[in-house]
Amino acid sequence: MAGFEFSDEDLKIFFEETEELLQAMEDDLIGLEKGDEVGARLASIFRAAHTIKGSSATAGYAAMAELTHSLENVLDRLRKGQAKVSTAIVNHLFTAMDILRRLTGDAAAGRESGEDISLVRRLLEQDLEEGASTGAVTATDEPQPAPGVDAPPPAARGAVSRPWAGVELEESEREALVEGCTHGDTLLAVTVDFLPDAAMVSVRCYQAYLYLEEKGRLAATRPTLSEIEQEKGGASLTAFLFTIEDPSVLAAEIEGLGDVRRVVLEPVSLADLVAEDSPAPAAGTDIPAAVASATAAAATTAKAPAAASVATAAADTATGTKSGMRTVRVDVELLDNLMNLVGELVIDRTRLVQSVDILDRAYGGKDTNVTRELAEATAHVGRITTQLQEEIMRARMLPVETLFKKFPRMVRDLAQKCGKQVELVIEGQHTELDRGVIEEIGDPIMHLLRNSVDHGIESPETRVARGKPPVGTVKLSASHLENYILITVEDDGKGIDAEGVKGVAVRKGFLAAEAAARMSTQEALQLVFVSGVSTAQKVSEVSGRGVGMDVVRRNVEKLNATIEMDTTIGVGTKITIKLPLTLAIIRALMVQAGSGTYAIPMASVVETLTANQGQLKTIRGSEVIVNRGQVLPVHRLTKLFTDPCGGDPRALVIVTVGGQKSGLLVDKLLGDQEVVVKNLGQFLGAVPGLSGATILGGGEVALIIDVQSLLSSHVAMAAREERIA
Amino acid sequence: MEQTVRAKELQLVVFQLVNETYGVDIAKVSEIRELQKITRVPRCPDFIEGIINLRGRVIPVVDLRTRFGLPAGERTANTRIVVVEIGGHTIGVIVDEVLEVLSVAGDAVEPTPPVISGLESDYLLGVAKLDDRLVILLELDRVFSRSEQKALMEGAYSNGALDKAV
Repeated sequence: MAGFEFSDEDLKIFFEETEELLQAMEDDLIGLEKGDEVGARLASIFRAAHTIKGSSATAGYAAMAELTHSLENVLDRLRKGQAKVSTAIVNHLFTAMDILRRLTGDAAAGRESGEDISLVRRLLEQDLEEGASTGAVTATDEPQPAPGVDAPPPAARGAVSRPWAGVELEESEREALVEGCTHGDTLLAVTVDFLPDAAMVSVRCYQAYLYLEEKGRLAATRPTLSEIEQEKGGASLTAFLFTIEDPSVLAAEIEGLGDVRRVVLEPVSLADLVAEDSPAPAAGTDIPAAVASATAAAATTAKAPAAASVATAAADTATGTKSGMRTVRVDVELLDNLMNLVGELVIDRTRLVQSVDILDRAYGGKDTNVTRELAEATAHVGRITTQLQEEIMRARMLPVETLFKKFPRMVRDLAQKCGKQVELVIEGQHTELDRGVIEEIGDPIMHLLRNSVDHGIESPETRVARGKPPVGTVKLSASHLENYILITVEDDGKGIDAEGVKGVAVRKGFLAAEAAARMSTQEALQLVFVSGVSTAQKVSEVSGRGVGMDVVRRNVEKLNATIEMDTTIGVGTKITIKLPLTLAIIRALMVQAGSGTYAIPMASVVETLTANQGQLKTIRGSEVIVNRGQVLPVHRLTKLFTDPCGGDPRALVIVTVGGQKSGLLVDKLLGDQEVVVKNLGQFLGAVPGLSGATILGGGEVALIIDVQSLLSSHVAMAAREERIA
Repeated sequence: MEQTVRAKELQLVVFQLVNETYGVDIAKVSEIRELQKITRVPRCPDFIEGIINLRGRVIPVVDLRTRFGLPAGERTANTRIVVVEIGGHTIGVIVDEVLEVLSVAGDAVEPTPPVISGLESDYLLGVAKLDDRLVILLELDRVFSRSEQKALMEGAYSNGALDKAV
């Protein structure tokens, strides 16, 4: 494609736009398959494919353009009702879109694409032939998907008429125009205004130019072709086109290019041309009044809605561009750097506060001015830091939709593969999450969804036999709860059988039979999270290798989040992931125990007490305490962490895990503060009981406790100890 | 000066461990720090001393003596933490004393004699003979052998509570 060079910026936008379009197409295709708003969706998919075809062709990506062209053909037939939407066709369309995605990815990465598009093209062509023979009709509404195309009465022309009027024509151009008109050819003045801050304005002009060139005879354009190629064109294109095409069709198709603010097509008569001139008109023509010529032109043109003045709304063309809104594209790396800097500020702020404290105690009595100034400044720095923190975190937030949007397709494909009928319901798409969290939480959620579809939801026959509807429901939802985001995956399948899980664990040697017998249902269900345990009868290709849930939990914990399971046999399963709103900074209760300082996330802390020995009781060798009428197990932190230094426990922290409370015995409570979470690093791997480390104001390192894994590994260890005993 | 083709020259950070002198490739060493407070991390292999604060980063610290099965030593004013980059990880290595940085000609290195202080020959690159002493060249990447690193990373030690070996 000679002539137009895409700048790097243009290319970047092209790729992003194509990605967005492909996603929209996928959503529409899924909706289409369900029989949901078929007409509108077909129209929208067709438009999207059309745009991609145009852009990729202009950008020089032939394979993409060809493939999209085949896609377009099938879609065209579908929307005209000449073919029926069948599962086979939809599958082929999906395949084609997948390949397109890969092609886009390769192109964006500058890779040579090894993709073979010939197979899928043949499949699509087959679809066309088969579709033609069955000929059933589905899409019944508007054959022409062109929103906003009116044929306003001439009166509407008042404001927009003759936007081409000011164009300075060269002598040769004018001659060509006059000659054509004299000859009787229909001349249209096409004015296309693109959105001024559209990202690829010059490209759009170029596309419009190419398009018009094919539709007839382009006599003159402003800007000229070379101006467009040199990107000197600006955001409008005015063209004089001799054509026999229907102006409203042209208008619609130009609109489909994207970023179009307004398209005006007006017939131009000889008289118009001549009236522009000050010098003598060409021989043999009349010179009627300029105004009269407009109506005369209207009369002379053969096409019915000749006054195809079309005003298009800027919002939501197939590209869904957001230009005109006050947004900025920011590199994620930049935000990450900002986040790190804020993290350091938080550490220093704590140090400042501590230093002020020390100074106060030393000088407080003698010279209050110094300390007061410092204290005020520190407090102010503290407030600003908090605000900065919040703003940056907000900047890193993305609606969870960006993650959820890939799941409908995945569930659809999976259900098909497993022979199940599943409806995926998604709620809370607009809930916002930190970018980093979104990246990490995707895999765990995907695995949970797979489990639900593959293991949870029963086959349609089984469901019906149990009095359930044949189509199973899997609900994925995201919601806010105080300082947390809850993400739940819920299905109405067969639930998880605690006894079954126990059985497998015993059989595979993870658990002794006696320990299993004594396990509560809650504890047994936790076994699901242990690597190697899986009650799937046969390892399916999809899941069921028994490796999934422990990885899910580990990934969830890496995010400082918790995961809980609620299940009823025969009714369904609900898995809840509770994510802290911030990734890197949490509020924690600092405690001293033995030789170490630890941070217990406030999220897990219920209350704190001083513990005197009298309150601790012993039941069968384990320490317990009666708290608010409940008997709670008590653990010494030093023992849980195998600290050789036993410490002198005098304080008790009541924590909660999955609704169950326990007490942690520590030496001293050091107050609560915000801490920056640092990863323990890959070299150490995952240490049970810890979710990371933090650096305190004085530079010391404290360990951040993961209450859930601390207590559950303890449970397992206790089971093991009993096995040895 | 005439540039002759030399055998590959090595630059080493040389340190002391018990009675012996070891050298590691300087390219892998990012800094040398004085001993600082090390926070113990529970349920880790014994040669992992704990973690330290390295200018805002948390990095693990290992004790080479323990790793090599040598008797535990006293921490003196000379004890240092050598911060190295191996396998994409930054870790600190405790040594008795850092002696110097040396350039050693490639041809001064001899293959390791079969038995040296009970170390596995896997991570010994050889022995450099310098005047009156021997410097044992360590291939740090292999000191923390792949299987051990893998085990660490999978938290196998940590999941020890649930392994089947009882």
